[in-house]
Amino acid sequence: MSLTIVRLYHDLLGTYGDQGNAEILLHRAKGRGIDVNLVEVNPGQVTPRSGDIYLLGGGEDGPQLAALQMLKVDGGLNYAAAGGATVLAVCAGFQVIGESLPDSNGHTISGLGLVDAHTVYNSSPRSVGELVIQPSRGGLPVLTGFENHQGLTRLGSEMPALGVVQSGIGNGFDGVEGAWHGNIFGTYMHGPALARNPELADAVLQCAAGPLREFEDHLANELAMERRNALTGK
Amino acid sequence: MPRSLRLLTACKAGEIAGRVSVALGRGRGETLRGRVILALDPKAIAKLSLNRDVVIVSGTNGKTTATKNLAKILRDFAGEEVSTSESGANMPAGIASVLAQHPRSRYAVIECDEMYLPEMYKKLAPKVIVLLNLSRDQLHRTGEVRKVSNLWNKALTADDVTLVIDRDDPFLEYASTQAGHVIRVSFGGRRHPDAATCPNCAEILDWSKGDYSCTCGLGSQLPDVRADKALDGPGRNTVLVIEAARLMGAEILADDAAELIKASPDRVHAFLISGRSIPTHLAKNPESWRQALGKVQAEQVILSVNARGVDGRDTSWLWDIDYSQLLGKTVVCTGDRRLDVAYRLSVQGISASVAEDFESAVLQHASGPIQAIVSYTAFQDLLATELGFSVGQGKTK
Repeated sequence: MSLTIVRLYHDLLGTYGDQGNAEILLHRAKGRGIDVNLVEVNPGQVTPRSGDIYLLGGGEDGPQLAALQMLKVDGGLNYAAAGGATVLAVCAGFQVIGESLPDSNGHTISGLGLVDAHTVYNSSPRSVGELVIQPSRGGLPVLTGFENHQGLTRLGSEMPALGVVQSGIGNGFDGVEGAWHGNIFGTYMHGPALARNPELADAVLQCAAGPLREFEDHLANELAMERRNALTGK
Repeated sequence: MPRSLRLLTACKAGEIAGRVSVALGRGRGETLRGRVILALDPKAIAKLSLNRDVVIVSGTNGKTTATKNLAKILRDFAGEEVSTSESGANMPAGIASVLAQHPRSRYAVIECDEMYLPEMYKKLAPKVIVLLNLSRDQLHRTGEVRKVSNLWNKALTADDVTLVIDRDDPFLEYASTQAGHVIRVSFGGRRHPDAATCPNCAEILDWSKGDYSCTCGLGSQLPDVRADKALDGPGRNTVLVIEAARLMGAEILADDAAELIKASPDRVHAFLISGRSIPTHLAKNPESWRQALGKVQAEQVILSVNARGVDGRDTSWLWDIDYSQLLGKTVVCTGDRRLDVAYRLSVQGISASVAEDFESAVLQHASGPIQAIVSYTAFQDLLATELGFSVGQGKTK
């Protein structure tokens, strides 16, 4: 089996180390003997439509809107997602794949619409700090990450969240964090998210690669455990 | 200099508080002295800088070293003491404290935290502001690089001050667009790792051969001074400092300038741990880590990362750095967030072990040279231990 991971505009959406998510997926796929390659898409380049996993990271407001504009014009990500490709979008990326978000003047503009999520401008202070969530599906344990965002995101009534917030802000509505529907994952967790949550990394990988065989990465597990314990006081 | 009774009382009280703090082994007493001064006279900073020649140094990396170099040039030139911080105090309390020392000398060279620059610019009424560089740093506090650039752009609008900037840095160019007088020093142009988009309008910047332009009009300007393209970060900062000194009336000889640029050190300090001298680089953000990694020659390395307040509580930036310099070396990670570092290295194919504390990390290594790169509070802890201070910074995770 062979996998193609597509990292989108990491110059624009890589402010918080989220491009590391690609390296972690490569690492965990290779560790299982999966033939995997990484395709970088930079501004001005065409997004391949046949990728298996697409990654979007966090970024500043201006670059976020520039990236959204290019993704709309290119159409490749929407095409691939409609065909069942897996998407992991973090922070600004999560907002981009939603139905709507504010532009720099506060006007609502449409996102890519991969998840039913509506981001609004939040006039209170930025949501900054450690975030701890409890997912309810996929056998995932408590997940942790570092959030840093101004906008807040309301999910549509049928849209499942990634988890319930135990501490931190998350989406800022209904006490939930992120979104997870089918093969599409959205989250506010940096760290990068997949470094601190190897189980989430495998959940993403599994969407694209099917059932995974065992892979022991002691350091990854130790890091996840250390963060979880530090933040939940265990 | 006319000085109010209120100010004199504030300075006297600050002096006593500072001495008590030093006597109790709580550090240099700089911040406490300043807090007392500002509590008793909130206008102390403006009063203490009245009728003096003030230079402010700000930017992401190299502020403390640049401030020291500039203070030295002005001290040698004036033949008298200069009000300046030796320790990198750069917030209002520290700045008040610095000004209260040698209040009658002509020059004050003030290191200023990026976020406080607008306020300090108003209060200090400087003749020159040196803006060294802007890159990603402490994102949990400043939010975004462009936010700092924008903050400066809105504050630096008068023509009573001259800015000295690295002309190759788009964030500094944008910060200076409304300023009356700008001296632009070019180092031959180079692509900024955080400036894929325009600091002004967020369109994709057009980079070619190290110069940039944008449809909104922001772009590389003609330089006032052309400097050596081969210089590293500390070297570039020293060139900017020499230019600032010239504007303050202290021109140095070409030979002395060359010497100063060559000698400009990174923040490296050799700590004596378990009887071994460990050259230790202070590195706080991706750009300073890249520079420090480029200087690692030893085969044995210690990396220490904390995520306490001033370090930035988010360690994601560890993934912005390429560690291939460490391939094949023996690496030990320590600090509160040693696992974050060790895991990041392992994903890049570099195996590293972890140690509880710095001393254990030293003991894990075999004999032979060791080099260390450490984050801010880790450096402070090592320094405090060396000086025999107890540190008031609790571990936070």
